[in-house]
Amino acid sequence: MATAHHDDHDDHHGISHTASVKVLLGTGGALLMLTIVTVLATRVDFGTNINLAVAMLIAVIKATLVVLFFMHLKYDKIFHTVIFLSGICAAALFVGFTLMDSGQYQQSNIWDIDNPPVAPVGPRPTGG
Amino acid sequence: MSEQPHAAHGDDHGGHHGSRFIQHHYDDAQHQFDSGKLAIWLFLAQEVLFFSALFVAYILYRHHHPEIYAYAHKYLDVKMGAINTGVLIFSSLTAAWAVRAAQLRQKTLLVACLAATIACALGFLVIKYFEYTHKIHEKILFGRYFDPCVSSGNTPLITKGNECPGTKSSIVWDKATGAPASGCFPNAALDLDPRTPHVQADCKVFEVQGTESTKDGKVVFAEKGRKEIIGRCFDPVFGPGGGLGLAPNATIPAQTYPCWKTNANPHVCKGGWFFTWNCAGLLCEKTFGGEGPYATQTACQEQRSAKNGMLGGQGTATVTDCTTGGASGFVVEYGDHTVRKGNVRIDSVCKTPAPPVAVADPLADKVQVLELGEATTTNVRPLTHAEEKAAMYAGPPPPHTNMFFTIYFLMTGLHGIHVLFGVFVFIWLLIRATKGHFTPDYFGPVDFAALYWHIVDLIWIFLFPLLYLIH
Repeated sequence: MATAHHDDHDDHHGISHTASVKVLLGTGGALLMLTIVTVLATRVDFGTNINLAVAMLIAVIKATLVVLFFMHLKYDKIFHTVIFLSGICAAALFVGFTLMDSGQYQQSNIWDIDNPPVAPVGPRPTGG
Repeated sequence: MSEQPHAAHGDDHGGHHGSRFIQHHYDDAQHQFDSGKLAIWLFLAQEVLFFSALFVAYILYRHHHPEIYAYAHKYLDVKMGAINTGVLIFSSLTAAWAVRAAQLRQKTLLVACLAATIACALGFLVIKYFEYTHKIHEKILFGRYFDPCVSSGNTPLITKGNECPGTKSSIVWDKATGAPASGCFPNAALDLDPRTPHVQADCKVFEVQGTESTKDGKVVFAEKGRKEIIGRCFDPVFGPGGGLGLAPNATIPAQTYPCWKTNANPHVCKGGWFFTWNCAGLLCEKTFGGEGPYATQTACQEQRSAKNGMLGGQGTATVTDCTTGGASGFVVEYGDHTVRKGNVRIDSVCKTPAPPVAVADPLADKVQVLELGEATTTNVRPLTHAEEKAAMYAGPPPPHTNMFFTIYFLMTGLHGIHVLFGVFVFIWLLIRATKGHFTPDYFGPVDFAALYWHIVDLIWIFLFPLLYLIH
């Protein structure tokens, strides 16, 4: 194993990638800065949806930074990225399919004991 | 990676120049590391799915009930959440640095990074503890336990459980006059009709049993148990200025005072007035007392009083009110917390009625006299967005706000459990690091724990804006 390392460049000689100090500090600093940005962005009124979109965009950027640099995925095997993204895709499918029919049961999705949803009216029995 | 030639391959697992932690069923250090890394990534993908169930719940309820989220997030302290975000990000940095230190055989730095990660994780949990205890204290809880003492704009609310603690709801009696000076009995008109909102003071009154001892000249009351005094009564008792030390045949104005009644007497009357029923067999002994120079009337005196007409015409004071048992020597606890007599005192936990919300009538400046002919309308100022929001936060929670806190506690709770688990893992790593177990060809445990820790940070990166930063 190589024992002499230079702090300022990424090393690929060991059994795994070694993150440089510059990358570590840069990522950490960027994450802290983005946290401040996201808190400040909430104070500005862009409208509920845009505020949410801004907050989520910043969160996604932060998450990407963590995954790429802190979690070494940028330098890691592509297969690990595939595993991780497949997990996220499965979660996205989960959310998407659940939301797909959510308009159909709004009244009953929190059960109000004093105000139960009206039973659907079926066809009247014929004959008799 | 296994295309590298393995000179020292296979069965030589005896102290070759390599870490002694390389298992013999792996080809080499690289093989062992790669296997572990694959496993941890599979685990992390599973963690994403694990948390996604709660994110689905969050998204679904927010989609259906944006008003709940708009209101309830105000209960959360953005400052606490932001500090915790910073703490977790910093711990992610130290965890990532720990991996680098392990790879480069920097033992001291590795130990320092691991220790810093543990410290940050514990700091996160301590801040979470403060947030949780505040919510428990104010009954901002999940499901049917959601019964908040204040609105999200910090306006006092009357709660179903009526158990809000704190100075805002305790009674303070004026020592000189004996009148309630502040708290839940601002004046005698209160407490009359429990059905009238904003007039009724909302109290729980307890009879507290205890022992009294004198320590350094102070009376110390040690609580032994308490019993709630339930049922409000409205009993005629003797009014101020009468009852004690009166000349025979003096007439006492029968006044009506609100008081509290146990399911088995005694009655506890506010303002320093009280009387108790001591039942022994068939004979009931009534004890009367009042504020000021402490005094009671014995049964004998009571008979005299009754003979003097003191109880005349006051129908509720009959023997049939008595039940056996019950404590004697009731006192009302005064603002100075002096226990006046005996080993029983009265404690109350009260809630001040919510003051009317001072919101400008949005239509007030729209009232205009319109005349025929000319256009006489003027532009009126609508409520600003901020004013609308302030009014919303001052009001009571919208229906089903408990759902927000069910989701809040599930998400932050599950995340907190992950943080706690991470603490144990990093303590284990710290111990191994101090023993020098980690070398450039064996640092997998540090790397994998750091990856786990980054996922925990990642989840929080989303939880923070979703729960705390709702606009």
